[in-house]
Amino acid sequence: MIDQIKRKKVLVAMSGGVDSSVAAALLKDQGYEVVGATMQVWDYTQCDITEGNGTCCSSLDVDDARSVADNLEIPFYVLNCEAKFKASVIDPFINAYLNGQTPLPCVNCNTYLKFDHLVKKMKELECDYLATGHYAQIVQNAHGQYQIKTSEDDWKDQTYFLFTIQPEIVEKLIFPIGHLKKADVRKIAEDKKLVVAQKKDSQGICFVGNKGYDQFLTEHVSQNILKTKKGYLKRYPSNEIMAKHEGIHLYTIGQSKGLGMTYHEKLFVLKIDPLDNTVWVGEEKYLYHDEVDVVEPHILSDFNNGDTLNVKIRYQHKGSLAQVFKTEAGYKLKFNEPQRAITPGQAAVFYTQDKVLLGGGWIKI
Amino acid sequence: MQKDPIYLDFNATTPLASEVLQKMPELLHYWGNPSSIHLLSRSPKTILRETRKILADYLKCSSLELIFNSGASEGNNTVLKSVWNAYRPGNSFQNEIKNEFIISSVEHPSVIKTAEYLISEGALVHFVPVSRNGELDLKFIEQKISSKTALISCMFANNETGTVFPIKKIVELAQSKNILVHSDCVQAFGKTNFDVNDLGVDYATISAHKFYALKGCGVLYVKKGSPYINLVHGGGQERARRGGTENILGIASLGVMLNKLSQINAKEIELKRMRDYLEFEIIKTIPSVRVNCIECPRLTNTSSLIISGVDGETLLVSLDLKGFAVSTGAACSSGSPEPSPVLLAIGLSKQEAQNSLRVSLGWSTTQQQVDLFLLTLKDTVERLRKINQTETFSS
Repeated sequence: MIDQIKRKKVLVAMSGGVDSSVAAALLKDQGYEVVGATMQVWDYTQCDITEGNGTCCSSLDVDDARSVADNLEIPFYVLNCEAKFKASVIDPFINAYLNGQTPLPCVNCNTYLKFDHLVKKMKELECDYLATGHYAQIVQNAHGQYQIKTSEDDWKDQTYFLFTIQPEIVEKLIFPIGHLKKADVRKIAEDKKLVVAQKKDSQGICFVGNKGYDQFLTEHVSQNILKTKKGYLKRYPSNEIMAKHEGIHLYTIGQSKGLGMTYHEKLFVLKIDPLDNTVWVGEEKYLYHDEVDVVEPHILSDFNNGDTLNVKIRYQHKGSLAQVFKTEAGYKLKFNEPQRAITPGQAAVFYTQDKVLLGGGWIKI
Repeated sequence: MQKDPIYLDFNATTPLASEVLQKMPELLHYWGNPSSIHLLSRSPKTILRETRKILADYLKCSSLELIFNSGASEGNNTVLKSVWNAYRPGNSFQNEIKNEFIISSVEHPSVIKTAEYLISEGALVHFVPVSRNGELDLKFIEQKISSKTALISCMFANNETGTVFPIKKIVELAQSKNILVHSDCVQAFGKTNFDVNDLGVDYATISAHKFYALKGCGVLYVKKGSPYINLVHGGGQERARRGGTENILGIASLGVMLNKLSQINAKEIELKRMRDYLEFEIIKTIPSVRVNCIECPRLTNTSSLIISGVDGETLLVSLDLKGFAVSTGAACSSGSPEPSPVLLAIGLSKQEAQNSLRVSLGWSTTQQQVDLFLLTLKDTVERLRKINQTETFSS
């Protein structure tokens, strides 16, 4: 009899980490027909990283994902996305640094790969849903509209990276572990004897590895380009030249260590000017601003102009209240309290005060 | 839980023949080392001797000219490196220097990559172009052969398109200049009858797992008097030409299959009928499909298709989920974003290679399987094309 009922089919993105592995296992338990897939995004054979050690989607991670899929007896495929990943994640990542910004590659990966490429694969493989191991939840509002809400685990919540999801696909998404805390997820992995139960959380940016983004840039950008990024460290507001620097890509807003100069007081990077390669440094108090413009907005759920929303300006930010006003290019945010180190290239992500993701945009210089 | 998929990927590997499976429990008892002197070495020795003899009779060569090894990748490596080391500048054999190789551009990676290694060692390698129709450019070979040419290496038949190359003509060209010829016969062996005497080659490589026997077993034919330098040095096995205790189980499984060599001709005809039917029906029922190298002599089991508007990787996964095992030249999980070098080498665009599908039939393929596959392929292609069209319109 059971075969007569058509089971709902889910494509689950499996990175080889504990979260997406448990996501797949839970879906299987819930009676879905589960198909696992890993996106091969980067040729890790060229990468000097200790694989499986806080990385994501490397070849050893693919082995782990495959092993979990075998264990769960679900079909599993590795999908080649290297060309797309390079064009939509790696190249913009490099360009952002070369333009004095601090990029957020995980959002691009979600925008162009997980919630675009895999959505297409979901349709092509006749799946009803796409699932990922993100710490986020899908809820329905009073009008029956599907919305994304933050995870039960505030510390792990990943909705910050999800603001570019197209609103119409939200109803097609499942985040099977969003209602759990990380410790519970590990416990499930252990109970189910998944090989990844004890695996370290992925840290930082998957393709950069342990050696740091500056080394990554050195390896992937020609010296001829990098040397055009040299300039001066200048003191704000006095305009005093403090030192020469080796490239604006080596600095990020709010940075105070490794500035490449010694000085008797602690100074911070306040602003990076890509036009003349000036890196402005100064006292910490100048890092605080109460207004910022965001551009290229993505809106998942409507709100009123001038509403006070909870806004996160970086992944680890706990969120601050701001009034959000529509502008021609996006939104102007007026924070109730000044914010430290608002960084171009990062996203400002809007939430209702009860944690529903409304959308967001990119922080402009 | 899962029913066995319908297997249409015989060029990748073949299932074990039922005769091999039946014989396996008995063969597992012949675990003795054939190099030993005691009683337990006797059966393994017999297996080695008899298998070699039957194969030599079939290939019309001497038993002494056949070397068992781990497979065709080893065989191909051995040939190219032997010839290079025999004739390279500063060789230790007082041979005249011949540092040039002529290699078809659609060879298996075990030939291409070895040739690239030889280039790094100082060799000059000419890659022979192959046309979109699958024809090898014999004029190119004629132009490139010289007193410096050590070896011409060309596969008997291509694994992806199935095209059969004119080895005898190559041998004719080579003999006039005293050049050695190697042919990777992996895809041909068991699919069509041939012998090394008729081909006239100096080296030929064969693999057992493409002929319903076990993996990890290959045979290298080296014509008497042709240069040979061990790839694996070691004990006195294979007349000290290939060190390492023999893979008796693999060799014995090949031996079992040698009893079926007489069926090759009939199977070849039967597979041609099914393959031609498959291609005819595909072209009739699915628009915008092209068969690669259809004008060329081809292995009768192989069909290489370009299905425009459909990504090969997605098609492969979709078909797998429906229980059909096929193959594609599209860039897959290989760690390389580049699609099949063979399809690119015959002049297909990246997009065409990305839209490719390879179907290779085998001895256990049935008409019903082909019909089921045709229905599923038609449905799947229509569905995937529809999704791609809506995507194109909406974006």
